[in-house]
Amino acid sequence: MNEYVVEMKGIVKNFGQVQAVKHGEFNLRKGEIHSLIGENGAGKSTMMKLLYGMYPIDEGEITVKGEAMKTLSPKIAIEHGIGMVHQEFMLVNELTVLENIILGFEPKKGLTIDFDKARKDVEQYINQYNMEVQLDKKVSQISVGEAQRVEIIKTLMRGADIIILDEPTAVLTPQEARRLFEILNNLKQDGKSLVFISHKLNEVMEISDRISVMRQGGYMGTVNKDETSPLDLTKRMIGREVFLNIDKDYSKAGETILKIEDVWIPSQKETSKIRGMSLHVREGEIVGIAGIDGNGQSELVEAITGLRRVEKGRIILNGEDITNKSPRRIRNSGLAHIPEDRNTRGLNRSMSIEENLVAVRLDEAPFTKGILLSREGQDAYSKDMVEQFDIRPTDYHLPTSSLSGGNAQKVVVAREVSMKKKLLVASQPTRGVDIGAIELIRNTLEKAKKEGAGVLLVSAELEEIISLSDRIIVIHEGRITGEMMASEANENNLGLLMMGGSDAGKDGEKAV
Amino acid sequence: MNAILENFDKIFNVSLVYATFRSATPIIFAALCAAITQQANILNIGTEGIMLVGAFTAVTVSYFSGSWFLGIVAAMIAGAIISMIMAVGHIRYNSEICAIGMGINMLALAITKFLVKAIFNSTGSFSSPDIKAIPRVNLAFLDSIPVLGELFNDWCVTEWFAIILIIFLQFLFYKTVWGLRLRAVGQFPEAAKTAGIRVNSVKYQAMLISGLIGGLAGAHLSLGYSTQFIENMTNNRGFMGVAAMYFGGANPVFTALGCLLFGFSDSIGARLQAYGIPSQFVLMMPYIVTVAVLSISMVAKLSAGRKRESALHSGN
Repeated sequence: MNEYVVEMKGIVKNFGQVQAVKHGEFNLRKGEIHSLIGENGAGKSTMMKLLYGMYPIDEGEITVKGEAMKTLSPKIAIEHGIGMVHQEFMLVNELTVLENIILGFEPKKGLTIDFDKARKDVEQYINQYNMEVQLDKKVSQISVGEAQRVEIIKTLMRGADIIILDEPTAVLTPQEARRLFEILNNLKQDGKSLVFISHKLNEVMEISDRISVMRQGGYMGTVNKDETSPLDLTKRMIGREVFLNIDKDYSKAGETILKIEDVWIPSQKETSKIRGMSLHVREGEIVGIAGIDGNGQSELVEAITGLRRVEKGRIILNGEDITNKSPRRIRNSGLAHIPEDRNTRGLNRSMSIEENLVAVRLDEAPFTKGILLSREGQDAYSKDMVEQFDIRPTDYHLPTSSLSGGNAQKVVVAREVSMKKKLLVASQPTRGVDIGAIELIRNTLEKAKKEGAGVLLVSAELEEIISLSDRIIVIHEGRITGEMMASEANENNLGLLMMGGSDAGKDGEKAV
Repeated sequence: MNAILENFDKIFNVSLVYATFRSATPIIFAALCAAITQQANILNIGTEGIMLVGAFTAVTVSYFSGSWFLGIVAAMIAGAIISMIMAVGHIRYNSEICAIGMGINMLALAITKFLVKAIFNSTGSFSSPDIKAIPRVNLAFLDSIPVLGELFNDWCVTEWFAIILIIFLQFLFYKTVWGLRLRAVGQFPEAAKTAGIRVNSVKYQAMLISGLIGGLAGAHLSLGYSTQFIENMTNNRGFMGVAAMYFGGANPVFTALGCLLFGFSDSIGARLQAYGIPSQFVLMMPYIVTVAVLSISMVAKLSAGRKRESALHSGN
């Protein structure tokens, strides 16, 4: 009897010119949690999509439970007990949770779907693994954490005992991540074998039994958790050490550049409505907004950048009232914006790196000559940006759809920061990007601050907020629950304020 | 205007109910033809052309075979052939569905015009006592009941079938495995794919059924609603069906209600014409009603959404 439930050997996968996986190796034991780590674009997601049959492999062999798999498709993978929770959820928003769970595997009663039986089956899993979900809500109405539990139940309903989770914590709050880990451990106790794809080393160290590392499409070895350290893993992942800690110098904060006075902002979600918020950002400082996702951060950023209506109150940028002005007007008044979702707002993914880089300043020299675009001006600028921000691949005529998350985000950051505007609003600037890109992006924000820009940083990563910000504002359900200097902040006092605790940060520290 | 008020009871009477339904049925079939593909996120703008080819085929086959039933079957097959041509172009070769649809509409107009000339040596229209019409259902017991008799007796077979089809599609979309998969394919094909559903196969099936219904829509128009073929006899009913489908969000029952609105404005218009309202205005009515209904429902939806989202008024 083979000790592995999955074995992948000598895997090669090309997408056109791009070699996504050069030499992939992976194996999975029954009843273990095996993490697959690497920078974005290292090929770890691709490896697992190959196992799930989303694409055919070019070379190599895949064995599942002792059986060599000649062809694979999601359907065949499911039949062999493989389930995958994708990074982008595969849930149909307009259908109910229950409909989503049974999709493709519907129990029938005569001509109709047997919803009663489906409900009973699903409730069994909910109870067994303590996964609370609301079956009759539409997917569009549930939280990200709940949607993820729905995805896990989906794989179980389809009989999966090998479950692949592709960056499951990237979209979760710390509390939700904790809850996910409990569920994963429950699944492991029950004999399920789990693949955990991530690049968050602290999580990997917490949850894994074994860890495999990939770098640039190649396999970099497998280690037992007990025999490694985050530092060791980092070296394997990127081939050198990284420094995420940044020296802060708060002395240069100057004039107030952004002033928000008692603004009220509408939202689809009750907890995301901003109800009377005031704050300011000065030149040469980074103000961090901490809060659990969905407590009004996105709404606040959208209102500042002109993408959402303000119902009451004023927003003043650079001395100008920009309340409810058009995004273009606001940009001209001195705003640069790194939006939270690079795929929908940050980039046009079907256009090239170059076109995305010059998109917001097409009417400026040297990108235009009269009414015509200037090829030379754009090329020179793109070349410079690609070098300066280490965007890979370096051919700036490639469409941004071919870029990994980290490199795509670098394009957005390069474009916005290079305009040297007075205010930089950075929303989740390092979400879903690899550690190399995180380092570069954080240093870029710090540099913008040193050059005198005011930076408003919104991030779900507390560690990022604490290490980058000079001043931290905590929000909960659309209201400010506390404000403190970064030097006074820690995960405990911020965490308490994020949960809506009293607005005295120091009390919070004592209480914990 | 006085003439209208004086004859109010002649315009708004029991027979208006059936007149409304009668005018609406061809549009209902067309709308259902568009609804089923819309559920798979394919906008079947070719409904108009499919319907026109169906109408022509039905008349031709009925004329030569002497069977209205064969006429309907042939029309449905013709509709299916056209929709499968569209499906291959759109699904396999990835072309823009609206472009294919408009192409089909123009082709249908030209080819039926040509065939009327080639087969029947006639221009513009073709009618003959040898065209067998779809029969009407006479329920003898209803003859003696005043209002019900007027409402439900002597319906065309395909008119009854329209009701059955609405109910059947409602059931199919929302209660069956196939319907759930169809909706999943339309709303998020990637999710359907990862659930092991063959997305393209479902899309082909939707297009096929759409073609069958579209052909039936045409057959009803040329053998039930009337008994002849006239060049461009669909007269935008296919597009009205698409509009009604949007109005009803591709839900068969709501879609059919939208069609009734068209039927109502059409039949009321015909009556008003007799009392001095200019015919040009009467012809405009269904379209004015479309624009008005769609606008009002959108405005209502928007303002309700704004109120719900407001930070000032709701919650605490």
